Amino acid sequence: MMDETFINSYRSPQLSKNWLLNLNPLNKINIYIALGLITLFFQHWQVNVVITLVFILLAVAAGCFKSFIGPFLKLGLVIGPFFFIVRAIFWPGENMIFNYGIINITQEGIDLGIQYATIMLVVCGILVLCTVTIKAEDLTYSLEKIGVPHNVSFMILSSLQLIIDLKDKTKVIMDSQRSRGIETEGNVFVRIKAFVPVLSPLFLGAISGAEEKTIAMDARAFSSANPNTHLRFLRPTPALEKILVILVDILILGLIILGVVL
Amino acid sequence: MSYIELKNVSYRYPLAEADALKNINYAFEEGKLYGIIGENGGGKTTFCDLIKGLIPSFYGGDLTGEVFIKGKEIREWESSALASTIGYIFQNPFTQISGIKETVFEEIALGLENLGVEREEIIDRVINVVKQLKIEHLVKNNPNKLSGGQRQRVAFASIIAMETDILVIDEPTSQLDPKGTSDIFEIIHLLKEQGKTILLVEHKIDLIAEYADEVLVIKQGELITNGKTSDVFSDVNLLNEGVNIPQIALLSNDMKEQGKPFDTFAITRSQAREQILKKGSEKICH
Ligand SMILES: Nc1ncnc2c1ncn2[C@@H]1O[C@H](COP(=O)(O)OP(=O)(O)OP(=O)(O)O)[C@@H](O)[C@H]1O
Ligand SMILES: [Mg+2]
Repeated sequence: MMDETFINSYRSPQLSKNWLLNLNPLNKINIYIALGLITLFFQHWQVNVVITLVFILLAVAAGCFKSFIGPFLKLGLVIGPFFFIVRAIFWPGENMIFNYGIINITQEGIDLGIQYATIMLVVCGILVLCTVTIKAEDLTYSLEKIGVPHNVSFMILSSLQLIIDLKDKTKVIMDSQRSRGIETEGNVFVRIKAFVPVLSPLFLGAISGAEEKTIAMDARAFSSANPNTHLRFLRPTPALEKILVILVDILILGLIILGVVL
Repeated sequence: MSYIELKNVSYRYPLAEADALKNINYAFEEGKLYGIIGENGGGKTTFCDLIKGLIPSFYGGDLTGEVFIKGKEIREWESSALASTIGYIFQNPFTQISGIKETVFEEIALGLENLGVEREEIIDRVINVVKQLKIEHLVKNNPNKLSGGQRQRVAFASIIAMETDILVIDEPTSQLDPKGTSDIFEIIHLLKEQGKTILLVEHKIDLIAEYADEVLVIKQGELITNGKTSDVFSDVNLLNEGVNIPQIALLSNDMKEQGKPFDTFAITRSQAREQILKKGSEKICH
């Protein structure tokens, strides 16, 4: 027997118990990006760290801390230090700290490195927060509601799906290569060497799959001239939410102006 | 007027050296179930793609001759109109899942959303096919994480939900176990009762013998034999064409060669049973 509550869930707007998750996806993105923009105008690494902490708090408020922190640390701890090292080692400056061949570490370089690394933390924060607090389907729903064409939103949705697909398939191929004795664990070079033979089956598969997928979508009347309907839907954005988002935007704009003036 | 008609149709894939379909002439009638059989690489899938309007618009290549669907030449059909007239379930179940829906329920609803069906009707229609296909237990699952057989059923449900007049079905049971296979055939039978015109490619010959009204045999792009199912299978020479014949048809043929033919040539078990019981009772009477 089919679950009545499950079926009824399609008869009312998709809502969770969490106020933050219930925000319209576009409003979420608005808030995250507005927060991120602050960093560009202040240029202090301390500000970047504060914004990063705000993102972590938002993840907590959305009840998504667990799913947020893992990917955030993984991404942030790779990209952040990378930018730090590149800046710190190669940036020319007055106050030499260490010099050996082309390596030229200066105080200015280190300062800039910290600045860049923390900005990258903010960027990673935005990306991961979007993925854990926004369902792709809800995003495309709200995009279509503001007039984005159906096929554009479909493209967004299927490219997001493609990324997930590629990630899953990479794992499958890597596993099978490991079982055939190819090293896939170890330092960066071992990993890169193992990754190269994965690429060709991966992309060939993706391309041939794409052709059949086009046919499959055609069979589902994707090209239909009728305006499409939505089984799953979101509530119209409440007035209070609109006001809240505008207030947040004004506040952030104020902060930015303040930062530029100071 | 024929429902679907092919006149002198030949087709060659781009860059191919030989025609994949060679001078095919055939008229399909409304409401019948057609079995399409033949060896691997014979051109069955190409035939389905043609009817579905994917040839030449999607694949390119050279198409000569004419294909009429409900009296209108296929090149004149809008692809969207064709999508709501012909449902296509194809061989590979893995690419038939859209990949963009989070539950099987939503996956089945996708085609209806695209057609612009209202929400309450979508819900009704999805519930109906879900029951028909016995996949109630899957509705909440993520369609991207189903087994091959489960995907095949979901793909089937997604197309049936669209309620097209014509169904082109290419090996719907390749991933299914015996139970799943007989379930699908039960549904195909039901769809036929509802008046749908069905073109079915299937290697499981006993099922074709049981369900198809007419059979088409395609070999190397040619339509080598066609006719009423019992007539086609009563010709054992078909075995030389790389086509299997139902065991029961072979038995009927053996009986004929032994000089003791059945009154009517049996190709399914139930037909044979009837004939044998009849012969038995005749013996007792004499
Ligand atoms: N996209 C394509 N491009 C070029 N040639 C193709 C293409 N698809 C199929 N063919 C060729 O056309 C011929 C018919 O193939 P088709 O897939 O129609 O056979 P089939 O009867 O469906 O076989 P099977 O029973 O294996 O599914 C084959 O020789 C095949 O190599
Ligand atoms: Mg085929």
